[in-house]
Amino acid sequence: MSEAGDAKEPTETLILPAEITDEMIEHCRAGRPNEACGILASQDGGMVKVFRMTNATLSPLRYSLDPKEQFAVYRAIEGRGWELGAVFHSHTHTEAYPSPTDVRLASEDVPYLIVSLADEPPSVRAFRILKANWTDQEGEIKEVSVSVLR
Amino acid sequence: MAVEVRIPTVFRKFTGGSGAVEVQPGTVGSLFEQLETRYPDLRGQVRTPDGQLHRFVNVYVNDEDARYLEKLETKVTEGDTVSILPSVAGGQA
Repeated sequence: MSEAGDAKEPTETLILPAEITDEMIEHCRAGRPNEACGILASQDGGMVKVFRMTNATLSPLRYSLDPKEQFAVYRAIEGRGWELGAVFHSHTHTEAYPSPTDVRLASEDVPYLIVSLADEPPSVRAFRILKANWTDQEGEIKEVSVSVLR
Repeated sequence: MAVEVRIPTVFRKFTGGSGAVEVQPGTVGSLFEQLETRYPDLRGQVRTPDGQLHRFVNVYVNDEDARYLEKLETKVTEGDTVSILPSVAGGQA
């Protein structure tokens, strides 16, 4: 199960430019009361662009990317020579830590950023969800240090 | 000219890190057979053991979702691009 103490100590650091962080948080705030989600594009390991995306589930408790929008964003990322850098979503009322649902549905092999709106200011943490098979229901949560450049 | 298959990050550990792989034209199903022959660990990841497209995977042939075409029977010709996308979802509860 996913308790805050279970995450492995970070050995990886995700450097987030302030403007990227602020835009991601703004998108999450704008999505309330529902969860919000999106993708960060990276170039040479640095995050360069926030893609604000639709929560197709329209739920305060769950999110899913709209497949057609996801496809369009992936194409845009490839077209600019960028890479999929991270996936982000908000937790509106709980801590920035992967829920069992986050673990169960984790797919892409990139850091998953979680923006918690439970407190002010919002908190941002990142994790990798490590699973032997991507369809496994459970996995290992490994925290990624987040360093915001201000 | 071959068909390019775009591999998502979650499957790149099976393709030696490649994000794009070239295969021969055929059907979407035959592309997956070629991929699974070349990268045996990919077996069971994109398709279920009974050969159907995994429910959490979306496949696009050029700009069209294969589910709305002929699914695994969708024809793929030289120069086409096939993109495999895993569903991205989750949430606090």
